[in-house]
Amino acid sequence: MTAPPRFPAGQRILERVQGFLDRLREERVRIGLAAGVDLGRALAAVPALDREAFREACRVTLAKSPADLDTIDRVFEEYWSAWGPLPVPPPSEEGKVPRGTERRGPGGAIPPRARPPREELLRETIEGRYSPRAPAMGHPLFPVPAVVLRRYRAGARRFRRSVATLPGRHWRRSPSGPIDLRRTARRGLRTGGEWVELSRRERAPRRADLVVLWDVSGSMREHTSQMFALVHALHRVIRRSRVFAFGHDIEEVSALFQGQPYLRALPELAARLSGAGGGTQIAYCVGEFRRHWGAILRPTTTVVIASDGWDLGDPAGLARELERLRREARRVVWVNPYAADQGFVPATAALKTALPFLDLLTSPRDFPRAHGSRRPSAPLPAAG
Amino acid sequence: MTALSGQKYVIERGLATAVFLAIRLEKPLLIEGEPGCGKTEIAKALAAATNAELIRLQCYEGLDASASLYEWDYPRQLLEIRLHERDRTTAEVETEIYSERFLLKRPLLRALQGEGPARPVLLIDELDRADEEFEGLLLEVLSEFQVTVPEIGTIRATRIPLVILTSNRTRELGDAIKRRCLYAYIGYPTAEKEVEILRRRLPELPEQFAREIAHFVQRLRGQEDLAKRPGVAETLDWASALLALGEGTLRSATVTETLGLLLKDARDLETYRKERLDLLLAAP
Repeated sequence: MTAPPRFPAGQRILERVQGFLDRLREERVRIGLAAGVDLGRALAAVPALDREAFREACRVTLAKSPADLDTIDRVFEEYWSAWGPLPVPPPSEEGKVPRGTERRGPGGAIPPRARPPREELLRETIEGRYSPRAPAMGHPLFPVPAVVLRRYRAGARRFRRSVATLPGRHWRRSPSGPIDLRRTARRGLRTGGEWVELSRRERAPRRADLVVLWDVSGSMREHTSQMFALVHALHRVIRRSRVFAFGHDIEEVSALFQGQPYLRALPELAARLSGAGGGTQIAYCVGEFRRHWGAILRPTTTVVIASDGWDLGDPAGLARELERLRREARRVVWVNPYAADQGFVPATAALKTALPFLDLLTSPRDFPRAHGSRRPSAPLPAAG
Repeated sequence: MTALSGQKYVIERGLATAVFLAIRLEKPLLIEGEPGCGKTEIAKALAAATNAELIRLQCYEGLDASASLYEWDYPRQLLEIRLHERDRTTAEVETEIYSERFLLKRPLLRALQGEGPARPVLLIDELDRADEEFEGLLLEVLSEFQVTVPEIGTIRATRIPLVILTSNRTRELGDAIKRRCLYAYIGYPTAEKEVEILRRRLPELPEQFAREIAHFVQRLRGQEDLAKRPGVAETLDWASALLALGEGTLRSATVTETLGLLLKDARDLETYRKERLDLLLAAP
């Protein structure tokens, strides 16, 4: 039997619960009024002094995703084990993880990577050698002009048309195609049951679904604003899209784009990326993506990898991961910020390894232009 | 928990609380989790435990109102029009053909008008496979427990059904639908729980053999590079197959032959059959 929660004299339980909800909201758990009411009703239905029942009631009524469950567990322990809201402890150098950058997978939170000693970081930085633990410098994000944003959106719409090519299960009216008996019979009711006019139908093209794997490592820092505008445009025009940011680790950032206008999403994302900007491990991150979120890949999914390909990881591992990705998704598109440069050749080890598995290698600058909409089966530039 | 245990369903306290609150608060319960870990089974076990009717709606892309809510029986309506075109006025015929008699009730409507001794259990399975438009259709059903048929009016639930929605998280469900539901997540079970599930579902399986099977599956599940990890359903299938083959312990040859029941990805199968199986079997 666990110890019952104790409350300070005079403090009402509802105020404490409200404080708990506020604390969860600070941790980005989206709790609406209805969820709060549900929690109140649930607390009336479970034994009030049973701590575990109390915790389970909070989990069931307030969480909406596995990541929420982890946050609720953590905050519950923190909040309901003290008389009042605990002071936030000063972050220590060891194991410090910037807020919002914790990796969250469907199975729950994964402990953050321990930060290496300062001397090691300095040596790696000065010598410029590759490290998956390169110091995170953050990403300065600036809004692109409205006209550029509009062009990206137009390009994203063309891209959407070019990737939605399969006939779906939905039907739509059509002047040709097979006869739609149901509609014909229904229209026949207007003319006393006589089928005067035949209605026809056809399969509507299936909507594209998109996964964006966005490289936010240090080498992409100068392209982050441009890439963000492009990724935001893609997410906005393709409803079934998920966005993942990766460097030496990967996390989903779709929630920051969901329903958010460009200018509102910008500061949120800048805050989220404040701890990003270190080294890159593309193979590891693609592997992690497949492992934790692989179930979202369908035979109709287009995967966009937005990266400069600067990765000194094992090319064989990258080839293995991309081959699997290629098999599970319909198309793999690589967006490289340098691909539109004069004399560009895909010379980095990662890009050379990736080429056989790509349907299209393109640049963000291609999107606003007409040929940004070329079909993903378009020929690829030759490897250098 | 006891009632579900009677149906050979091993349930943890968290999920039991979720089910209890769904019944008590009369709210739908959204269960997400890994494939093959018992999301659908819990609805079946609940229906069996409460002696209620289980009404299942399997979601798929393109699922719409006519397949989930109701549809007018057009051939019968046409026949009715023909039968009465002389002896009744148009208005009378129209009133007649748009009555409940000509309504084909699909799972959602059937659940609202459920008959029987207990509240029906409505299972909306794999909601993530359906389109977002279908989620919109569910909103009225799940929040008000009513359906509006334009020609007839609003049909309200005679008894609020117990609604279980499941999702494999192949896509994120909309906020609106999540707001209307309680939430639970079923992950992979611990080794101890998996042994208990095996013993409960396959009583003829010796305990030691069940432990061997569960620990092998746990080790396999822990492999980083698997494309598809085996769920509990796969473990049960595999254990049944080993029993059918008359095995009493894990032998390399039999495991190699039956590994396809656990691993459903060709590349995984190839890798583990050729290279890693012996290592996994030898691990403590």
